[in-house]
Parts: sequence; C-alpha cells; structure tokens
Amino acid sequence: MAKSMLIISRQAPWSGPGAREALDMALAGGAYDLPLAMLFLDDGVFQLVGAQQPAAVEQKNLGANLQALPLFGVDELYACALSLAQRGLDPATLALPALALDDQGLRELLAHHDLVVTL
Amino acid sequence: MSTLHLLSHSPFTDTRLASCLRLLGPDDGVMLTGDAVYAGSDAQLTAPLQQATMRLYALREDVHARGLTPGAAVSVIDYPEFVELTLAYDKVNSWI
Repeated sequence: MAKSMLIISRQAPWSGPGAREALDMALAGGAYDLPLAMLFLDDGVFQLVGAQQPAAVEQKNLGANLQALPLFGVDELYACALSLAQRGLDPATLALPALALDDQGLRELLAHHDLVVTL
Repeated sequence: MSTLHLLSHSPFTDTRLASCLRLLGPDDGVMLTGDAVYAGSDAQLTAPLQQATMRLYALREDVHARGLTPGAAVSVIDYPEFVELTLAYDKVNSWI
C-alpha cells in the first residue's frame, strides 16, 4: 500500500515559489492517487483567502490550482486554527473547505501520516 | 508515529521553531542545525521540550562554529550520530 503523506504549506502565496511548489506536489501526488493530506500553517493560510488578484503583481493565480485539489482527489485539507486566528481569518470564509485544527489536532495529523514534507 | 524535526533557521528571526513546538508529539525529537542552534542556549525556547519525553539535539560543528554552550537539555551530536538519529524516528520533517 502506498505511504500516506502530509504536505505542510507554510508560505504566503506571493512571497516566493514555496506555495506553488507545495501545491504542485499535492496535485502531482493526487494525480497518481497517492493518499495525501495538505495542511496550511503559518503564512500558508493566506493562500486560502478568497478574491485575490495576483495579476496586480504579475503573478499567475494560485487560487485556480487550489480549487483543483478536490478534482485531483486531495480532499483532506486542513488549516491551523491558531495561524488563522492570529491573521484575523475566519475559517468559515475561506476559498477552500479546509478544516481548522487546534494544536492537539495538528499533533494527531502529523502522527498518523507515514511521511511529511514542509515547504 | 514518531517524527524527527529538522530546523536550520534562527528562532529569533523566524517562526519555524515556534510552529514546530506546537506540532510536536510526545515521541518526537528536534534536531538543530545551522543558525537554529542559537535556540539551544535559550532556556525559554527549550523549556517545553524539557517538560516532555521529547529529545533535543544540536549539531556539534554548528555549535562550535558559533562559540555556543548549549543548555543541559541539549544533546550535542556529530554528523554520524545525526545520520543514526534520522533512522531512529519513523519519519523526518525538514522545516526548510
């Protein structure tokens, strides 16, 4: 059986390539039916803000790729509750249906995956 | 499953260590390399680790290069021991 992998995405969407690389990894793994989950942590939660207009800083829209995650079979999407709260983001208004987890939830998530990658 | 967390950024300019400490499971370990070894001399940073069964390690070369004396909670290890350590945990999480 394929090993389960947790991808932790902790970079803001337009600060560098990290956010897109984590997302590309998730989409590639999803395309091969690998058991994946994705956690948005720290500034990574800013990727989940709706109505972003990256064309204003000449970037491609990450949001379209994020919306593709469920289509690629990546349904397990989580966000760190504290990271959201610290940044004034309401879990109910996110552009993706990510489940907000407290610290205990984060520890359990990490513990029950075979592999973990942080970007 | 246990995780060895690998850190290489200074905890004074970066949130990686703070986030890592929130994710730490009871059987996890933390390995400090590069500027992350500066965390080893800070009792406040290492206190959460001392209270648990978790383990804290720092790479000898990086500690010596910076002239540091890590606290008693920190095991200072060399490269071969670092390699062995990665095998002692189920998985390794690099906070790059």
